[in-house]
Amino acid sequence: MWSATILTGMRKLLIACVLTATATAGAARASPVDDCDAGSPDCVAVGKWNFSLALGAGVRTNPLVHGQDLPLPVVPQFSYYGKRFYIDNLDVGFTALEGGKNTLSLIASPGYDRIFFYRSDLQNIFVNIGGASGTNPPPPPVQFPSRSRAVTYLAGPEWTFNDHGIVGQLDVLREVTGHNHGEEVRTAIQFPVRSSTDAFSATIGLTWQSAAIVNYYYGAPRVYESGSALRPFLKLGYTRPVGRGWRFEVIAQYEHLASAVADSPIVAHNYVVTSFLGFVHAF
Amino acid sequence: MRFSLRSRAARCTAILITALLTAGMGEPGSGIQLELRPRVCTLAANEKQCSTTVHADWHSPREESLCLVILGRADVERCWEHYSQGTYSIELVFSDDLLFELKDSRLDTVLASKALRIIREAIRYRHRRRDPWNIFQ
Repeated sequence: MWSATILTGMRKLLIACVLTATATAGAARASPVDDCDAGSPDCVAVGKWNFSLALGAGVRTNPLVHGQDLPLPVVPQFSYYGKRFYIDNLDVGFTALEGGKNTLSLIASPGYDRIFFYRSDLQNIFVNIGGASGTNPPPPPVQFPSRSRAVTYLAGPEWTFNDHGIVGQLDVLREVTGHNHGEEVRTAIQFPVRSSTDAFSATIGLTWQSAAIVNYYYGAPRVYESGSALRPFLKLGYTRPVGRGWRFEVIAQYEHLASAVADSPIVAHNYVVTSFLGFVHAF
Repeated sequence: MRFSLRSRAARCTAILITALLTAGMGEPGSGIQLELRPRVCTLAANEKQCSTTVHADWHSPREESLCLVILGRADVERCWEHYSQGTYSIELVFSDDLLFELKDSRLDTVLASKALRIIREAIRYRHRRRDPWNIFQ
């Protein structure tokens, strides 16, 4: 209960900051900032679509009982940035305040866990357009009612910062598509270690999911009902430009599933490992 | 004597002013007007070249023998013999300003010139979303 109170307060505070920033910064300062130019990899042209394609070998493990791992041979990515509005793959956002270090936005992002239940989920399509056809996982060994999990979207404020190359993110989201009314906090901080040509980064993060979200995916009334879940992760990344718009990229991420998720009868593993090794081309 | 000097100075001044006022009016190449349509070409952020039909019109108070050329574009040359006006239209593809010149028939002297300028739409930049929570960021 205390966590819900803290979450609600945090969410209200962030929304107030976003609204205040929108009101005060609206006319005085447009979204594009002065320290951005074409040469900065952290910057992007306003009003232009961006596409990239990653080709290589990769996999995301599926923690579900009999769940098939998700291959990652092809990873398309796209984005569009308007003056304030943006599309970042399946996320959409409205930037209320953009400074050199801090950014406040309102975002909407799809619920993450559906990817383990449906190969056809768009989050799998935009992470993987190859692989097997979409099927539901086989029934778990215990009697667990079969039911669908709809596409959900979560929305709420997002605060990001970038200071001396350290990038942080905090999203306080609520499910807004009416399927579970749950809440989720996504937070991560990335520490880059750069050399002259290549870049290595380490990221630690944490996802908190309310009981409503956990039970929507992994629970069933009178069979398994859980509380909220904390899911920490560690990600290591390496990228090196190889010319003509291509770069070599290696990513490895380990996410630990809290017992609230891992104890579900339909979950076999208490972790999700994602890895990718290949080349990315920006068009 | 003083009067005579003053009178002579006044006469010289009058001749000088008359000469200045009439200077060039009778010389070939003077008073030629060159106009271009369009005067500017505006490129969108995603465009690299202008592609347009350019109309060049010239007028002169007297008949002239001259040629229209574009600086740096040896393939473009249109000449007129004993005309007081002329029009020339040409399809052009270009990525930098073009300088149109009217030259005498020997292409020695520039009689008039006008530039067709390119204006590039300013590309604005903003910060890319920082999303370390995402696996591929």
